Amino acid sequence: MGEEGTEGTVHLLCLAASSGVPLFCRSCRGGAPARQQLPFSVIGSLNGVHMFGQNLEVQLSSARTEDTTVVWKSFHDSITLIVLSSEEGASELRLERLLQMVFGAMVLLVGLEELTNIRNVERLKKELRASYCLIDSFLGDSELIGDLTQCVDCVVPPEGSVLQEALSGFAEAAGTAFGSLVVSGRVVAATESWWRLGTPEAVLLPWLVGSLPPQAARDYPVYLPHGSPTVPHRLLTLTLLPGLELCLLCGPRPPLSQLDPQSLLLSIVVASCVPSTSWSLPRTSHQSRGQQRTRWRKQPRGPRCQEPATWCLGPRSRAQAGGWWLCRWARGGCCCCCLPSVPPTRFGAWPPTLCRPSARSSDPCASATHADTAVSVSLFIRSQ
Amino acid sequence: MSSLETRLHKKMRIAIMKIGDVEPEWLDSVQKNGELFYLELSEGEEESLLPETPTVNHVRFSENEIIIEEDDYKEGKKYEPKLQRFTKILKSKSLLPKRHSKKSSNGNEPVSILKHQSNQKTGVVVQQRYKDVTIYVNPKKLTVTKAKEHLKLLEVLVGIIHQTKWSWKKSGKQSSGERLVVHGLLPGGSAMKSGQILIGDVLVAVNDVDVTSENIERVLSCIPGPMQVKLTFENAYAVKKETTQPRQKKAQSNTNDLVKLLWGEEVEGIQQNILNTPHIVMYLTLQLDSETSKEEQEILYHCPVSDASQKLKSVRGIFLTLCDMLENVTGTQVTSSSLLLNGKQIHVAYWKESDKLLLIGLPAEKVPLPQLRNMIEDVVQTLKFMYGSLDSAFCQVENVPRLDHFFSLFFQRALHPAKLHSGTSLSAQQYDASSAVLLDGLPGVRWLTLPREIKMELDTALNDLETADFAELSEDYYDMRRLYTILGSSLFYKGYLICSHLPKDDLIDIAVYCRHYCLLPLAAKQRIGQLVIWREVFPRHHLQPSTDSNTEVFQEPEGRYFLLIVGLKHYMLCVLLESGGCASKAIGNPGPDCIYVDQVKTTLQQLGGIDCRISEQLTASPSPCLSCADWFLTGSHEKLDSLTTSPILSRLPGTSKVATSPTCRRILFGDYSLKARKPSPSRSSGGSDNGCEGGEGIGLSPHTTPDAIWKQRESRGSDGSEESGALLKVTKKKVSLPNPFHLGNLKKNLSEKDLEIYNTMKLTSGPENTLFHYVALETVQGIFITPTHEEVAQLSGSIHPQLIKNFHQCCLSIRAIFQKTLVEEKKKALNRGDHSSSTNSVSSLNPVKEHGVLFECSPEKWTDQRKAPPVMAYWVVGRLFLHPKLQELYVCFHDSVTEIAIEMAFKLFFGLTL
Repeated sequence: MGEEGTEGTVHLLCLAASSGVPLFCRSCRGGAPARQQLPFSVIGSLNGVHMFGQNLEVQLSSARTEDTTVVWKSFHDSITLIVLSSEEGASELRLERLLQMVFGAMVLLVGLEELTNIRNVERLKKELRASYCLIDSFLGDSELIGDLTQCVDCVVPPEGSVLQEALSGFAEAAGTAFGSLVVSGRVVAATESWWRLGTPEAVLLPWLVGSLPPQAARDYPVYLPHGSPTVPHRLLTLTLLPGLELCLLCGPRPPLSQLDPQSLLLSIVVASCVPSTSWSLPRTSHQSRGQQRTRWRKQPRGPRCQEPATWCLGPRSRAQAGGWWLCRWARGGCCCCCLPSVPPTRFGAWPPTLCRPSARSSDPCASATHADTAVSVSLFIRSQ
Repeated sequence: MSSLETRLHKKMRIAIMKIGDVEPEWLDSVQKNGELFYLELSEGEEESLLPETPTVNHVRFSENEIIIEEDDYKEGKKYEPKLQRFTKILKSKSLLPKRHSKKSSNGNEPVSILKHQSNQKTGVVVQQRYKDVTIYVNPKKLTVTKAKEHLKLLEVLVGIIHQTKWSWKKSGKQSSGERLVVHGLLPGGSAMKSGQILIGDVLVAVNDVDVTSENIERVLSCIPGPMQVKLTFENAYAVKKETTQPRQKKAQSNTNDLVKLLWGEEVEGIQQNILNTPHIVMYLTLQLDSETSKEEQEILYHCPVSDASQKLKSVRGIFLTLCDMLENVTGTQVTSSSLLLNGKQIHVAYWKESDKLLLIGLPAEKVPLPQLRNMIEDVVQTLKFMYGSLDSAFCQVENVPRLDHFFSLFFQRALHPAKLHSGTSLSAQQYDASSAVLLDGLPGVRWLTLPREIKMELDTALNDLETADFAELSEDYYDMRRLYTILGSSLFYKGYLICSHLPKDDLIDIAVYCRHYCLLPLAAKQRIGQLVIWREVFPRHHLQPSTDSNTEVFQEPEGRYFLLIVGLKHYMLCVLLESGGCASKAIGNPGPDCIYVDQVKTTLQQLGGIDCRISEQLTASPSPCLSCADWFLTGSHEKLDSLTTSPILSRLPGTSKVATSPTCRRILFGDYSLKARKPSPSRSSGGSDNGCEGGEGIGLSPHTTPDAIWKQRESRGSDGSEESGALLKVTKKKVSLPNPFHLGNLKKNLSEKDLEIYNTMKLTSGPENTLFHYVALETVQGIFITPTHEEVAQLSGSIHPQLIKNFHQCCLSIRAIFQKTLVEEKKKALNRGDHSSSTNSVSSLNPVKEHGVLFECSPEKWTDQRKAPPVMAYWVVGRLFLHPKLQELYVCFHDSVTEIAIEMAFKLFFGLTL
């Protein structure tokens, strides 16, 4: 299979750890979802080899062939996720993060309770179908890199403060502290409380909104993998402009129907200060094979080997990611990802920085950073 | 035919024996299969070791085991030709302390030793333990040789040479005296004339008085006048038989000795420590016949046997399954996997060949994955070089102890790299340990660039050896076919390759072998008194089946290859020999041939003279000079004054290093970066000093002036640049109108050539030297250059060692990316061959040619709470060159200047030839 095409193939397998029953398999070839699946015997032996080790107290975590990487990860002793990727530059670090995101997505839509206590496998299978759309967007060629950085993808609007104020007012009126404006999976503005959401859901919610088919309004039950993995919340979305969506996270109230008039008001504000055309961010062509350099900043220790961020950029291969960033930079819209401990008050601050909560990785070089709390990275590319 | 040849050889050797005197001491260590690993420490080293010295120090001659063994199973066959290769040996005249024997040999007709031996041969059957020999002794002779008072009576009277080595004396003190082994016979002596005393015999009694080395002189001095003396000898054969059993044991303990030797005294603790670390090597077969369901039948070899490794062994099912399944699914072979064992991450590397699987597992904290991949490749390469194939290495029972030794060395090296270099200074130790991560995996040998004159001398010496024109010692002289053709040789000095006449593949094979047996660090510390290694090898370069069917093309002869390594002090000379082809075919398992060993040794001794010139080069090689990271930290002014002179200074010709260093250092330190940093008073004043003093201050700083000139040029080129620091202001003024006075003065002090030298030595482009470290790999010739230990030791600092460690780890990762790139390039080239049109693929961005990482660092212990610690930023940049030939360059430099790797590489690689 590996030699059939130059584009890589990603297979994601989800199995019930105790019984070994496959819950779902998703495949992706060359960035687009594919029908082709692994044969059942292969799935069985991939799982079997992991289980065999576990019985002997040896956890198999990854394996590599010349062009493929396989990563195993089991969650809560009930779900085993296996990813097999022949995409070029697929590092273990990236695949491990991918599995974390996938599990987060499963919790987001099904709830942790269902996943840890599997009573009816068939029913769980059906429920998990809801998450396919989101999971496929992780596997495929997405423009977002939040899955990798574990940070929220953002767009910095020209009139950030105006939007922020309008949004806060609106959310307050609706009786919730969690509100955000999302453009194709990227956060434009959000309330203070929204930024304090835990890592998986802060990334997952905008991503989910971006991956769902366009609709005028939604009322979606979600579990928050970090905040409340067992009790569902409601995610309300309203499309203000084509591509621009308002998201609210709330309890049983308010009902969706009450939101309409106020949101109209907000949309006027939005429309007045931002021309609608600038909301779409086109993908860039990869112009150059420039030299890559990674800026890696770390304080205040002595020199240590770090894993540079370019190595984990995965299928949106390093250069591609570089070009992409550059483009956004050139257009004046920068991307900024934050973690909860750093409130994003300085939108538009330069240079754009990525904050990573920790460098948890299998890379031995990176293990040195394990104890560090915050590491900031900025990527750039010299593209002449 | 072959018997005729060997007989001729025998004749020749007999003739040679006439000149020779004493058997080489390594002869005992030759193993049954002809292999030899003989290591004798230098005297200084021996002193520091335990009183119980390794067996190699015992100089005892007796017929080799191999002969006796062969007698046993080749009853009918004549063994004599075999024998003579071991016994007819001569010692290089110059090697041993001069003895009068040589002088006297000219005068009277010597009696051939061989004759006695053939006599003895007939007596093999009727073996007695003791024999009495009556000889005529004339003490009056003593008066003639009165001048040589120091001579022993045993030699002078009886004509028996008993060599009391230094170490023997030491051990002799404890016992009542050393056994009197006959090491040689004095030509013309009465012992030789008797024809019954053999080398290896032990003198036990004189006229029924028991003698040892203690009392022999006294006993002999009691002989009043010319008379017949009865000497009682213990038969050499009997001695032999007695010691056969213990010797085999010793050969094994020998292997431990090497480990002990290299890792020093605390080896016991380390070994315990190692046993607790999970690590394993396994050789498994994938093909099982289900009928014999024996437990663990798939394991052909595994090592070590410890509890921690037991776990890894028990999960071999995982490895086998992965190997089989992933290959089916992905179509490519599995290379590695990672697993968690007791919370520790373990990487396991795979090497599959036909239906066998080699696995090496090591903890991730000790060995990063890219390094492990390099290591398993190296192991496979070495084993193939030593045994021909993995199968022949692992599947033969007699190899098991050798493999155990091999892998115990391997794991020691992998798990305790720093300890290997114990005994050297701490900085060198750190440097070695941190650089081993990268350098051990490079397909090259560390190269030391030497000036042309020295190079010439070395080349000539090696050429002389390679022609194998040994005058009367050579086979040609006796009209015989040669035993071996010398394919090439390479010379190491203190672990650096300084001269090589070998093809790249052979060179790397040999280098990897030496690396595995830790020979290079041994040589670096002059721990070698004498080293002789001999073994059959299987160089891949020569053994590849030729793909070209054209008969015009040179075909490799179907010969056998032997590696001979001779070490002497800091030198190590590796010679690759071929038998078959032009030379005669090798039969059986030939041991080392003494003529060849001696010739190599002689070559090394010839080179003894230029020893000091080479070590001079080591300390001040013309490679680019380096800066120390600590100089760039703004917070460490006080450290500056304690710094030693920078390498730049020491290398500029004709400089006085004394008063000038501070100025230069300041200039070096002059901040060029655009970052707003507080210029320290000392720095700015130093800078302006230099600028203003252009005229008068020349006496003070003759060698800083090229720096100034450089700066002038620089500022001329880039007018608008915003260099800070006072020193450039001065030169900027002179941009339009260069001061003739200034230049005139300069000319007095510096010729153009010096300037050139300085410019080529400086690798970085800015006004000051910002280069911290570099590694340049030239894969065509199989060499790499990197700063020498001495150079690094000069740059002592608190941050610098850390920086170097970081550099190497980072380079390892960068190199892994490059290797992936190379594989993809190759694949692409193949695809292009298939269908040339489809070149424009999605992955057009792929070939990574340059990869750089910027690091920032600050001093670890920063006591000042009020101020933030100073920060220094530096780049680690790797660059891959595909054209015109494959080269890799890794540099580490300060952030203040933008460097273009191609330029640096050009400077580095220029003139770098074998």
